[in-house]
Amino acid sequence: MNDHRTIVDATAVILAGGKSSRMGRPKALLPFDNEPLIAHIVRGLRKMFAEAVVVAAPEQEIPILPAVLVRDEVAYQGPVSGIYHGLKASTKQVCFVTSCDAPFLNLQLIAHLLSQISDCDVVVPYWQERFQPLHAVYRRSVLPFLKEQLDRGELRPIFLYDKVRTRKVDGDQIRRFDPDGLSFLNMNSPSDYDAALARWKNQGRIETETASLPASISVLDSVYVTVELFGVARLLAKTKEVSLSLAHDATLADVFSALAEKLPVLVGRIINSDGLVGGYACNINGLNFVRAPGAKVNSGDKIFILSADAGG
Amino acid sequence: MYGFHGRLLHIDLSTGKSSWVDLEEARLRAFLGGIGLGASLLYDYAPAGVDPFSPANPLIFTSAPLVGTGLTTTAKFAVVTKSPLTGFIADSLSSSHFALELKRIGLDALVISGRAASMAYIFIQDQRVEIRDAIHLRGRSPVETESLIRSELDAPTVRVATIGKAGENKVRFATISNEGRHAGRGGVGAVMGSKNLKAIALRGDHATEVADPAGVETIAEALRERSLSSLTDKYRKIGTVANLAVFNRLGTLPTRNFQQSTFDHADALSGETLTENNFSRRHGCAACTIQCERLFKALNGEEQRLEYETLFALGPLCGIENPDVVLRAAQLCDHYGMDTISAGGTLAWAMECGEKGSLTEAQKLGLRFGQAEGVFAAIAAIAERDGIGALLAEGSRRAAREVGGDTLYWAMHVKGLELPGYEPRSLKTMALGLAVSPRGACHNRSGAYEADFSGAVDRLRAGPGRGVLVADSEDFAAVLDSLIVCKFLRKCFSDFYSEAAELLSKVSGWNCSSTELRRIGERIHTVKKLFNIREGWQPEHDWLPERLLCETLPTGVARGIGLTSRDLKDMIREYYKAREWDENGFLPEHKLKELGISS
Repeated sequence: MNDHRTIVDATAVILAGGKSSRMGRPKALLPFDNEPLIAHIVRGLRKMFAEAVVVAAPEQEIPILPAVLVRDEVAYQGPVSGIYHGLKASTKQVCFVTSCDAPFLNLQLIAHLLSQISDCDVVVPYWQERFQPLHAVYRRSVLPFLKEQLDRGELRPIFLYDKVRTRKVDGDQIRRFDPDGLSFLNMNSPSDYDAALARWKNQGRIETETASLPASISVLDSVYVTVELFGVARLLAKTKEVSLSLAHDATLADVFSALAEKLPVLVGRIINSDGLVGGYACNINGLNFVRAPGAKVNSGDKIFILSADAGG
Repeated sequence: MYGFHGRLLHIDLSTGKSSWVDLEEARLRAFLGGIGLGASLLYDYAPAGVDPFSPANPLIFTSAPLVGTGLTTTAKFAVVTKSPLTGFIADSLSSSHFALELKRIGLDALVISGRAASMAYIFIQDQRVEIRDAIHLRGRSPVETESLIRSELDAPTVRVATIGKAGENKVRFATISNEGRHAGRGGVGAVMGSKNLKAIALRGDHATEVADPAGVETIAEALRERSLSSLTDKYRKIGTVANLAVFNRLGTLPTRNFQQSTFDHADALSGETLTENNFSRRHGCAACTIQCERLFKALNGEEQRLEYETLFALGPLCGIENPDVVLRAAQLCDHYGMDTISAGGTLAWAMECGEKGSLTEAQKLGLRFGQAEGVFAAIAAIAERDGIGALLAEGSRRAAREVGGDTLYWAMHVKGLELPGYEPRSLKTMALGLAVSPRGACHNRSGAYEADFSGAVDRLRAGPGRGVLVADSEDFAAVLDSLIVCKFLRKCFSDFYSEAAELLSKVSGWNCSSTELRRIGERIHTVKKLFNIREGWQPEHDWLPERLLCETLPTGVARGIGLTSRDLKDMIREYYKAREWDENGFLPEHKLKELGISS
């Protein structure tokens, strides 16, 4: 794990104990990118998380992984049980839960989900009219509610969401990071698997690099934004984008200030005490051109710094 | 007269005769120089309904009051004629030493009519006009022609504007080139070719006098200083190629014949990447402090100028992702003397036709999105009018009319002029600007996109207020293009009309106000429209290609965004109202009278 770099004090929980009945063989062990799928996923998540927990079924074969291995008490009890055991095994207060059959994880999206947990218990994407409980962030504080559900036989995770402080992350937010929702693409059948392999071959690594992630993500109260640099700013900074972690009430002025600290080469040339020097403009998420330093920024915002002159 | 010479030179190539004609001060004050003077003269010198390739169609070169004054970015000239591509006005600008030499001849305009019996070039040395044989120059590229003419005249400082093979063969989007610069759009080079005129060589020694030299120098110094501030960073440090990456991210980079507005391989073609990998040299026009030109290293070891429009048109628009291919294609266009935007637009049309089975000759030539060899072969075939090249040399509108069927839908032009690299669906003000521009789909005679990039309007949604914005932008461009000041200096004025009026007053000795200058801009634009109406303009000519009105954008931040016919109609109606034209876009008599224009 040479590329392991902890940037968030949280746990990645990977549920591996499904039946794989339609696949016809254990999904966790499917070869993917020259390694078992479970290893592929754990490796990707360990680039970001301090800890990983794999939840497997009793007796299930799992390769040696850089993760804590726990097992469901009862086989194939469903995702609530898996989430419960994963959270229980975590030594961190916040956990990102995913399954072992979704190979196209997007660390930028996951970072965004983590940054939204500050004042709630669950952060769950809502994609194509459905909650995505197996690509969601949970606080360990929900453990009693999950236990209660298990005792009652309420095996669908969404029953939890009415009981705790749940933040729904909508499609517009998701698309900022993952335009096609590949994060939610899971494999249930051999044809799904073939399609995923082909996609992987064609598109290669998708948003799994950590270079563009912030040095650290606070799971308590931060706003996480990405600044994309164009033109002279890009040439000066020698990078296309920079991620920033800011206070929860951050404004554009805070973005410029953090950017100046991170990339001093831009000071005086692109950024000054008022914001941007003359000749430069700022656009948020490719939609709004904004100059007011007091403009509020939100987690997940992509902030473009570009020439104010579009002449060509 | 200060700032002007007060006369034009008229050369009739059919008779070989030339004459000097006084230019009345009232006309110069009403239209200034450059595009304005050219449009005014075109209206008077072109017979109504003239065929663009007729000897009677005048080819007009104009100078301008600021040219030769030492003001930064003002070494420019205009070429105005009736366009063989659109059938309406073609008004193109080019720049550098030829512009300075044109003014040193001691004229404000050069009007060329008639047709030489065989290929010829004009040599003007001060008052003397000589029409010389150019048969030996046939087929030569602009660069070769400039060099050969200088050699045979034994005059290394003579300045030459010339056509290449495309102009000789009347490719309807041929350019007139000088010193690597081009009067690019609308086919002015084809008109020159139709006159059997290969080149114009100039050497003069008339200085330009200004009314208040010290006052002009004070302003010139201030503008020089501002021109080196961060306001022009983009042009000085990367060049216009910087647009590509950001346009891609904003979902406004026309790709694969406007089927998308983002390009998957934009990173490979971005100005930033080119600067890092291919940069060779920075260059600029004469008397310019900005020096926006970028020369990049092509695979064959030669340097090639590249602007955003060329990069977009021969890159994403044709699905080409390899910068070496774009550089080579740009070299070929320059070698033959053809407009890269119309060339790219016409090739992209042919690629789509070929891929969809409507043009088998395109397939045979290898014209497919992303395929280099087809592009290289087609550019040469166009210049030679060889095979399918003869069809493509007509531009996308005529070619589509010839082939018919669905291919009409894939021809991306306005009034016959292929669209530049600003996606109208995600730039709604620009959409209106492109639809109503007298010269066709043009990003230079108005800068309507500026409103979209300013945040003052929602660029993704049509809405009220666009009509005034576009009209203001057109008038502003008309004044810039007639003074002439390069648009890349425009952000360096804090109050353009006041500062420019003061400048013009100090140059000309007139007491010109900002109000008068605004009115001049409106007058210039109006006379262009008046010319178009005389040449058959109808309301349906102010429209956009149907694809833009039927398809929403499929990718990027503008995914799902389209433009409805109704929205476009509303914006056009609002524009006519802002212009105080009638509801169908015709010019009411009282408006012409108010502007002092007689039709």
